[in-house]
Amino acid sequence: MSKKKVKQKAGLAVLNLVFILLCLIGLVPILYALSLSLSSGTAALSSKLSFLPTGFTLANYKNILVEEPFLQWLWNSIVLAVGTVIVAMACSVTSAYAFSRFRFKGRIQALRGLLILNAFPQILTMFAIFRLFKLLHLLNNRWGLVLIYAGSMCIFSIQNLKGYFDTIPVEIEEASKLDGATELQMLIKIILPLARPAIIVTSVMVLIFVWNEYLFATTFMLNENTYTLAGGLYQLQANDYSRSWPLFTAAAILVSVPILVIFFVIQKHMVSGLTAGGVKG
Amino acid sequence: MRNKKKAAVWLHSLPAMILIGAIIVFPILYTAYISLTNMNMFHWDNYELIGLDNYVRALFKVDTGFLTAILTTLLWTALNMIIQVVIAFFIALGLNAPGLKLKNLYKTLLMFPWAMPAYVSILLWKVGIYNTEFGLANKVLVALGFEKINYLSQNVPAFISCMVLNLWMALPFMIMMFDGAFQSIDKSYYESAKMDGAGFWMQLFHITVPSVKPIMAPAVIMTTFTTFKQFDIIYLLTQQKGALTGATLQTILTYAHQNAFVSNNYGLSSAVSMIIFVLIVIISLFLNRGLKEEV
Amino acid sequence: MKRKIYSTLCGVLAVGMLGGCGTAGTAANGESKEEAQSTVETSAEEKQEDASSESVETVTVWHDGDESIMQVIADEVNEELEAEHVQVVFEKKTGLTDQLQLYGNDAENGPDMYFYAHDSLGMFAEMGILAPITDFISAEEEKDLLPMTVEAGTYQDTQYLLPVYYETLLFIYNQDLWEGEVPSTTDDLYAYMESHTDTDAGTYAVVNQHSTAYNVAPFINGYGAYIIDKDGNPGLNTDQMIEAVTYNKQFAELMGDGDYDTCNTLFHEQKAAAIIGGPWLISGIKDAGINYGIKSLSDFTLPNGEAMAPYSGVQGIGVMKYAKENKQDAVASVLKAMCKENVGISLAKEASCAPANAKAYEDAEVAADDMIMAMRATAETAQPMPNIPQMSVMWGPAESMLASINKSGQDIKTVADNCQKAAKTAVADMQ
Repeated sequence: MSKKKVKQKAGLAVLNLVFILLCLIGLVPILYALSLSLSSGTAALSSKLSFLPTGFTLANYKNILVEEPFLQWLWNSIVLAVGTVIVAMACSVTSAYAFSRFRFKGRIQALRGLLILNAFPQILTMFAIFRLFKLLHLLNNRWGLVLIYAGSMCIFSIQNLKGYFDTIPVEIEEASKLDGATELQMLIKIILPLARPAIIVTSVMVLIFVWNEYLFATTFMLNENTYTLAGGLYQLQANDYSRSWPLFTAAAILVSVPILVIFFVIQKHMVSGLTAGGVKG
Repeated sequence: MRNKKKAAVWLHSLPAMILIGAIIVFPILYTAYISLTNMNMFHWDNYELIGLDNYVRALFKVDTGFLTAILTTLLWTALNMIIQVVIAFFIALGLNAPGLKLKNLYKTLLMFPWAMPAYVSILLWKVGIYNTEFGLANKVLVALGFEKINYLSQNVPAFISCMVLNLWMALPFMIMMFDGAFQSIDKSYYESAKMDGAGFWMQLFHITVPSVKPIMAPAVIMTTFTTFKQFDIIYLLTQQKGALTGATLQTILTYAHQNAFVSNNYGLSSAVSMIIFVLIVIISLFLNRGLKEEV
Repeated sequence: MKRKIYSTLCGVLAVGMLGGCGTAGTAANGESKEEAQSTVETSAEEKQEDASSESVETVTVWHDGDESIMQVIADEVNEELEAEHVQVVFEKKTGLTDQLQLYGNDAENGPDMYFYAHDSLGMFAEMGILAPITDFISAEEEKDLLPMTVEAGTYQDTQYLLPVYYETLLFIYNQDLWEGEVPSTTDDLYAYMESHTDTDAGTYAVVNQHSTAYNVAPFINGYGAYIIDKDGNPGLNTDQMIEAVTYNKQFAELMGDGDYDTCNTLFHEQKAAAIIGGPWLISGIKDAGINYGIKSLSDFTLPNGEAMAPYSGVQGIGVMKYAKENKQDAVASVLKAMCKENVGISLAKEASCAPANAKAYEDAEVAADDMIMAMRATAETAQPMPNIPQMSVMWGPAESMLASINKSGQDIKTVADNCQKAAKTAVADMQ
């Protein structure tokens, strides 16, 4: 027994080591960005092989937070992200439920059709969306952008959720159906808790998509105060000739941190309802 | 009863269908319409229907460059997907090993590349890693006593460089998907497998892989298409205006961009878009055949 | 019952998506406009305290340039126009050409004017989204502008762009590193580079973005070659072009990878004694504490006896067609204020820009600025970049030619022929 434990411990140690290495390798470009963002120069490069910033300073972060409408952008990003997650999930949960639970004519074809539609590079149709939105007066409008984002992520969410829903045994519902539960009750009380990891994973996916999207955000929003974080950063720093690398990297890190915080926080909610009450692994 | 069920289906999917109709389907139809017109900067407001001329021109362009681009794209997609799925599978598996206390921290750190807007990551890599003179990759090589390499001036190194970057950017998503999928596997399966004396690999192939497969199929197919239509990495890394690196790597999208979109001829580029769409449909029909039971 | 509620919910969601867009859209639209209005007011507040009863007419200008330069212009113009209650607001738009293709005829959302380099002028003019400058301002008011800059702002005999400042490439060198005099022929320059470059150690005599068309233009134009002629014919495989790129190639071999960031860093870290670059580099060079000197590229003679002739990029302001109907007077005031010499003087002093207004150079402080005067001198041989629409598709083929020759080492003649073919197709594709 103890021999087994030692073996297990050694295995864990190796695993920990592997993950520490993996994280380090993965983080190299980020560390590079971090070091740039803390340095006082203006250039992106230096001939030294070092991750320590030249002339440590927090001025770049201060500049971003004070001189640019960073908080306004943060707020815009939050509003857009939350709005999109709500709309996209509301649409796709019901739809995925239908595709997973009902057997109707054309179901397979519809699913395949959705897949193909999703394969079309959306960037190619930006002009068409522009025309449509101009007609509907949705340009330079937050809700217009929410619709675009929700629409872009809708197919993905449907497919993804449907995949999880399929793994939930139908018997669970059938039992409650006999108890006279409505579809809404079933969806909310039974399916959603069971599919919690799927709901969270999909929501996070939508959230990150919105958070990092910049082309639509800068094309469809026209006022500096209405940009999102990624959009504002792109707008100010995308040009090679006017880019200040330290500012750029500082902003990039500030953009990423909220996502990481969210990600860290949701970790403990990602355990499935199916297994949470079951045998403890 | 039947009608009621039908109504239920519709009612459930209606919001999504309207959304998809407006944001995905309508724009494709509109693009198809534009492709039949002569809309370009010389006919900006006064464009008219000109039939299939744009398609004739676009297809006339199908030369060896286009065929190479298709092959490159297929190779790019296949290689990226295989490597990505395998690596992500094992990393996620490791994350789910019982007793790993810092699991949440590792997971969060591994997600970092995903939390950055794509153009930021690409520019960071281009300048920080791949730069011939000062990039990290060459600094390490020099420190180890090797020659400097110009990563982006020839096609093969450029392809690998782009692929490494794509893996870096795409792996977090895959890891997260696998991780989520692993969560949904009923742990009792493993318990009983252990009772039966099944080893690690046995459990892997008889429980983990089959349980994860249906959940992962949509995500993997979707990512395949995302990889297929990847444009930013190759474009920003090797062929940004004013900063061409010398590699002439082309995927279908960069090829279309270079040959149709820079011209600001909306009619022609819409026709090219539609041709790409048809190509995607054909490819996905092949894919679907292979994954029939999944979708 | 509950089932009904659920169904209604789904239905409402659907209907809301269909119909709600319109109403919600307009409401939110109004709101965002108010937002925009209020931000303008806050920024104007400092200046408009007592005149708050009068309404200020705002002229919005989109640009894709350096914000600090735009700020200098905005400050000067707004001070000038305070009495007229006109205010100009600059908004940065990355990818300005793409944005104007979408918003250029959208009076509701688009800008009133745009501030950009002159090379995309022909495209906008052909699209019919611009109003001629001469509708707002007379020749008399433009008399002080350098002829080269006005020429750059003119497309098919109509002036669409009011030049404000211009940029050309310069030879910037590190006075502490450069040994002896800077040569005055390119052959001597090359000889100097050969003896002072050690690519393995990473030290260079001169660096240039040797595969960027704009940066090779001094050679191309100097050899009498052209990327595209006035009638829209590409000239990538002419004898002169081959001569120019062949000559450029030997320089490229001694210049590292020619990436923008690499060149800059080499110069900043004193690993390159000189850099060929524009005035936009100066602030960074100053920050790096380099004791720099400047020489006009016109002062270098090519082997064929001609002076190097860089492109000039004229930055100027154009008017959207719909703004002519909506804001004729305000736009006219802005244009008049913008071509005054005080704008030019401030630009030269505060932002190191070479003004389009010739009178600005008479200012003592401006006349003492080496870099500004070097650009003033270069204005004599510099050629405005072509502004015909076809130019927009020429950068791609021209640069892939340079990159293939300098970076992947392909045969010059073959590459030139291929790229010429690609360029011709690209030009034909525009129609």
